[in-house]
Amino acid sequence: MRIGVYICRVNADVEGGANLESVGHYVANLPQVEVVKALGVLPRLDPVALADEIAASELDRVVIAGDSPGFFKPAFTRAMSLAGREPDEVRLASFREHGSSGDGATERAKAIAACAVYGVPFTLAARPLDTKWGAATLVVGGGIAGIQAALEIADGGKKVYLVERTGTIGGHMAMFDKTFPTLDCAACILTPKMVAVGQHPMIELLTYAEVESVSGVPGAFRATVLRHARRVDEGACVACDICSEVCPVKVPSEFDAGIAERKAIYIPFPQAVPNAYLVDEASCTFVQTNGKKCGVCAKKCPKECIDLDARGEVLQLEVGSIIVATGYEVLDAARLERYGYGVQPNVLTALEFERLTNASGPTGGRIVTKSLRHNKRKKVDEWVFDPEGESPRSVAIIHCVGSRDSNYNAYCSRVCCMYSLKFAHLVKEKLPDAACYEFYIDMRAFGKGYEAFFERIQDEGTFIVRGRSASVTDRDGQMILKGEDILSDSVVEIPVDMVLLAVGLVPAERSDELARMLGVPRDDDGWFTEADYNGDPTGTERGGVYVAGVCQGPKDIPDTVAQASAVAARALEGAMTGRGLQSLTSVKLTDIEARAKSLVPAS
Amino acid sequence: MPEPRTGVFICNCGTNIAKMIDCDAVAEAASSMPGVVVARSYKYMCSNPGQEMIAQDIGDHGLERVVVAACSPRMHEPTFRRAAETAGLNPYLVEMANIREQCSWVHDDGVAATEKAEDLVRAAVMRVAHHEPLERLSVDMCPNTLVLGGGIAGLTAALELADAGKLVYLVERQPGLGGNVARVDLTAPYLDSARDMLTDRLTRVVEHPDIDVMVSSELVRLDGFVGNFKATIVVHGPEGADEERQVDVGSVIVCTGYREFDASRATHLGYGKLPNVITSFEFERMLRAGRIETKEGRLPQYVSVIHCVGSRSEDFHGYCSRVCCMTALKYAHEVKSALPRSYVSDVYVDMHAFGKGCEDFYRRSAEVKTLFLMYGKGDHPVVRKADPGDDCGMLITVDEQLSGETIELPADLIILMVGMEPREDAEAVTHLVNISQDKDGWFIESHPKLDPVATTTDGVYIAGACQAPKDIPDSVAQARAAAGRILGKISKGKLEIDAMFAEVDEDRCSGCRVCNEICPYSAIEFDAAERRSHVISALCKACGACVATCPSAAIKARHFTDAQIFAEIAGVLG
Amino acid sequence: MAIRANPKLIEELEPYGAEDVMKCYHCGNCSAVCPFSEDPYVFPRKPMRHLQMGLTAKLEGQLDPWLCYYCGECSDQCPRDAEPGETMMSLRRWLTARYDWTGISRLFYRSWRWEFGAIVLVAIITAIAFTLFGMSQGSLADYDGPNAFLPSSAIHIFDWALALVLLAFLVSNAARMWWFTMGRDKTLRMSAGSYLRSLWLLPAHFFSQARYGQCDRKGPWVTHLALMLSYVVMLVLIMFFLAEMASGPEIDWRVHVLGYLATAGLVVSTILFLRNRVKQSAPQYRHSHESDWIFLVLILLVALTGILQHILHRSGLDVAANVTYIVHLSLVVPMLVLEVPFSKWSHLAYRPLAIYLARVRVTALARSRQSAEPARGAEPSTPLRAA
Repeated sequence: MRIGVYICRVNADVEGGANLESVGHYVANLPQVEVVKALGVLPRLDPVALADEIAASELDRVVIAGDSPGFFKPAFTRAMSLAGREPDEVRLASFREHGSSGDGATERAKAIAACAVYGVPFTLAARPLDTKWGAATLVVGGGIAGIQAALEIADGGKKVYLVERTGTIGGHMAMFDKTFPTLDCAACILTPKMVAVGQHPMIELLTYAEVESVSGVPGAFRATVLRHARRVDEGACVACDICSEVCPVKVPSEFDAGIAERKAIYIPFPQAVPNAYLVDEASCTFVQTNGKKCGVCAKKCPKECIDLDARGEVLQLEVGSIIVATGYEVLDAARLERYGYGVQPNVLTALEFERLTNASGPTGGRIVTKSLRHNKRKKVDEWVFDPEGESPRSVAIIHCVGSRDSNYNAYCSRVCCMYSLKFAHLVKEKLPDAACYEFYIDMRAFGKGYEAFFERIQDEGTFIVRGRSASVTDRDGQMILKGEDILSDSVVEIPVDMVLLAVGLVPAERSDELARMLGVPRDDDGWFTEADYNGDPTGTERGGVYVAGVCQGPKDIPDTVAQASAVAARALEGAMTGRGLQSLTSVKLTDIEARAKSLVPAS
Repeated sequence: MPEPRTGVFICNCGTNIAKMIDCDAVAEAASSMPGVVVARSYKYMCSNPGQEMIAQDIGDHGLERVVVAACSPRMHEPTFRRAAETAGLNPYLVEMANIREQCSWVHDDGVAATEKAEDLVRAAVMRVAHHEPLERLSVDMCPNTLVLGGGIAGLTAALELADAGKLVYLVERQPGLGGNVARVDLTAPYLDSARDMLTDRLTRVVEHPDIDVMVSSELVRLDGFVGNFKATIVVHGPEGADEERQVDVGSVIVCTGYREFDASRATHLGYGKLPNVITSFEFERMLRAGRIETKEGRLPQYVSVIHCVGSRSEDFHGYCSRVCCMTALKYAHEVKSALPRSYVSDVYVDMHAFGKGCEDFYRRSAEVKTLFLMYGKGDHPVVRKADPGDDCGMLITVDEQLSGETIELPADLIILMVGMEPREDAEAVTHLVNISQDKDGWFIESHPKLDPVATTTDGVYIAGACQAPKDIPDSVAQARAAAGRILGKISKGKLEIDAMFAEVDEDRCSGCRVCNEICPYSAIEFDAAERRSHVISALCKACGACVATCPSAAIKARHFTDAQIFAEIAGVLG
Repeated sequence: MAIRANPKLIEELEPYGAEDVMKCYHCGNCSAVCPFSEDPYVFPRKPMRHLQMGLTAKLEGQLDPWLCYYCGECSDQCPRDAEPGETMMSLRRWLTARYDWTGISRLFYRSWRWEFGAIVLVAIITAIAFTLFGMSQGSLADYDGPNAFLPSSAIHIFDWALALVLLAFLVSNAARMWWFTMGRDKTLRMSAGSYLRSLWLLPAHFFSQARYGQCDRKGPWVTHLALMLSYVVMLVLIMFFLAEMASGPEIDWRVHVLGYLATAGLVVSTILFLRNRVKQSAPQYRHSHESDWIFLVLILLVALTGILQHILHRSGLDVAANVTYIVHLSLVVPMLVLEVPFSKWSHLAYRPLAIYLARVRVTALARSRQSAEPARGAEPSTPLRAA
């Protein structure tokens, strides 16, 4: 068999990409390789000319090697058929797709190319050896993904350490009011799972804690976890709220997305798990003054379970598998000045609205505009949500805020269309007389029951406007939203009382550190890179480390839950059998080549 | 008999209940109901503090019965039963009154709603007095799994379980494995090889010692219950030499996938009439053969891709098929690669480029100068033969939304992005494994948000496109999710079975066998020798059909006794 | 009535600078941020749409490109880097070519070699012609007076002859513009009255370029206005006061004071524009078409040679002055003959004309709307109009 290898790439700017030259030299020395040709970046290929080449050098197989070489495959397939060769004999050596990046990118690329030359799938030839596996699993992140994964494994009777950065598990889902498209109350379906985690004998819940470092090998990882001082005895606290009542310090509440305040000693929300208070050292007067001032909460606590001098502790965990479920944050809407976030009081982000419309939110679920209130302590007037405030007469929802935009996030955040439609429903449900507008580019209602939900929202009388609106400005006290209404071919200016920004999702802070600790690559947008886009969406380059939920890329709750159960499968596999697969990086090029050779179907 | 000491707990469910019902008033009223020694109302009963409150009161007041007035028991009955159990009370001595779905959500008169809530609570209080402590049964979990369907989801699930050392029976109706992915050359958005991915899985499945592959086979009967199914499979041999196999499995994963929409149904697109209108799968064949040409054997100058064929339409399927948009963009790139001089256009409704890397893929296809035309949902493009003078074979008429113009688009080759629809045998499968279909025919998961792979039948899971259209990564994730569920159960070893089931009073049973026929779960077996019927408790779902049918009133449903029902009715009537 | 799409048109537009238009995914942001985009002239998105689909007739019939002043806001905010501003610019170039019936404009815009070649050719011809003419009746040593090498009286006649020819070209092209945008549109009835009532817009906008002034960035408008006014002043001086300008060596301040101002204006503004384009200081300077460079360089050279010739003449170096005069003329003539009717210069005429016609159209539309039903709009968004 005579084989030709064509090397090309889709992007010019590949950081840490393979050294194509040395890959070229390598494949040139592989058996039966007759032609090796470098085509450069995005070559304009003429299939007819290629056909002549192929015919001239009588190639029986063509290998296209590079990042996403599939973009050139149809040209070569056609060339093969024009040359009267077997068109099916065009093989892909997809470098980036199979983890050729960073250190060892070149070695990996060679392996991938070798497999393609032998006509054997890389994933088949490059299966790492298996190794001893620890029974315990570390789950990083206590959102719905982490909760689900932890429960799956623990229900299987295997030990789980669940590490959560904040004072409670629940993540973003706990903040939501309803969930699309079924409009289930988020708390109603999430809290049972949170409670189950809190009560589960096989789950060791470590909240207010962060992973500091990870060492060891797949199957036998050693994780150092820093447990911040909660300063309240988790077991003893009965959440009676007395400490919080007496605490003089008020700061914006993270759980309420900053639209309400909490004290320096607080419980994130009444259903928090663990159901115990904690001290925010950044705002606690006692901590900040090294005990010189305040400390009243400790004195007032009836259970005497507050120790303001408590220190954080460092834990060493021995685990076989690590599950990353760190989720996301939302884009800082202030970056898009034209929407007036932070300037116009009634321009809200999605999360702020979730809290506003939530029964457990600051207005008890009433959708109101902010009212001006004098803050005596700071001696300034400030805009705040008052349960008795005025209802907006018209609400506009702007899609794709910072998403699908080369100036911010080029990617689609996948959930915004649907939660925006959900917002429209909530507005219409609570304020039937209010006008509600959705400004969108493409309505991405792709999931099960989503399209029907979209239709329902239209029937409810929300104006669905195709066109991403351009600006929100103030015209003598009235907010004016300007945008193109494409389907009616006009530029519209709408007076609105409230604007909801469907802000996109961005990776959680410190994901970069975590990625470095775990040796898991991230893509250009900062999401954790899966081992194989199609074949292994929840695995990673690093054996024993799995990713679930939004940290791997934006996705909605069902897709997140599915991934969470999927990673649980892998962790359970290791825990049950006591064996699992090492990192792909541990496999030597020569081994892969040898294995590929051995797998060549005898013809 | 003295009324048992009863505690009543009213949940506000945030404002879900409280906004319509005066919960404190209900608690007040409840406190004077027969046997009630404590009645409270709280924001979220299901929360940790709520559950602790219940446990606390059981201890403090020596409660013998608990009534929780909250949401539908579907979600939280287990929660409150667990709470009672932790306080040492038999979980079946807890009763729920649904004052949310059946009261606060459906009424707009606060006073009347509050009264009704009181009636519902009273009914629960009076019913629970007649409750008996029941014990759950536990059965062994068979570690084998039956996987239906050898597509990408089935292969993935099978490998996942087998790699954990568990035996898998993989049953595929077709003579070959691979499913619809086997018909695809490259995958969006990175144009990686679908064949390589499949070859990898197929090789490993076939070689795997723990996977028993049965092709040209079908499941004909599934008996038993979670952890202890008996599956009867027919393996179709050459010229009708069928072999029947019986296998024991603990779980079943249904990965039967989808079939493509029949494009000829969308008559306005001319499929079947105009030779150069083809479906996406037909185009995949052209790509593999490296011959993208018209039926006349000419190279197409204008290639057009039409989205949403059979999807998002009033006439056919209302839902979005989720993968077509990206596949269409893939074709745009592939055509440009194979025929650099051609003009590619995409006729779409909304561009669903939501997946990882997909928006970038969309941008790229615009950069290679693909022309995108947008038609309205509820509208449809019309394809006709071009006139002799035209420089193209066909013309597509579109009411183009982004310009407001009616456009005639030249085309020589038209690719129809046919949507997904449930397989013709989907309904048969639902009967075999006792799961249900939604209005579109997709299999229904046990909870659309938090339990996408389980079904209402314990031990039966669904994964991949049979649950709803989805792409390869999402199917693979679901397949693994199902495997994960099962591994968990296997690793536990034992299963608990609900204590609610029917019992036959053998002295009164006349052996008439009416109940045998009526039972929808075939949970009643007949002892011919004794001429008596027995209920297989693990199979019984306590639907009560047999109880009502039995002419000699010999069958009693545990937890649904006449006394309990009558007390409840009396309670409602106040 | 269905319109036939032409996927090939985009290729024809590329040489005019429309390279990124296909990237547009129609979010509508550009049309909403544009200070000039308003019903019924909603752009740049709409023209971009027509261009993507290759609706030639629609594009020809559009005044929108001329109503855009390329402030660059749209290109700055474009989420897909589809360069709406540059697309409008390239549409203006393309339209200029469509209006021009000779096809010369098309040739120039599609290949700078042709434009440059033509300029050189005309320059050489001019040089030779004037040299021969000068030799035939005067002496190279005399700049003015009876024996002048190039007597202002003769040049004056030449100027007027040339002006009339150019005017003929310009007017005929403008007439075609009218025909494309108004004349052949049978759907609207434009009354002679409204043509007359709006006529004042022509001179008003020609001299003030008021719309340009509405852009957020004022700089470009000021420079552009300076360039244009200096140009016009110079034109007037040459067409009517050539004798006074040419006679020397003593300076006739009545005309020269204006002359100096105009020259300064020309030199400074062209240099400023050239600098911006080199530095690519703003979106509108990021993509420079060859025709942009040629135009600016030509004007600058004309101005500089003019200055040089003036100085030489005043300092009594008549021979040098005459030679420079020849050079000057052989730059002026191509600039007038080629740039005015066939290239960038013509937009000075088309813009005010477009504003004028746009107004006429709007009045006609308003009348037809009163009678007819409101324009098309998808149900959900129709109430927006009320809002």
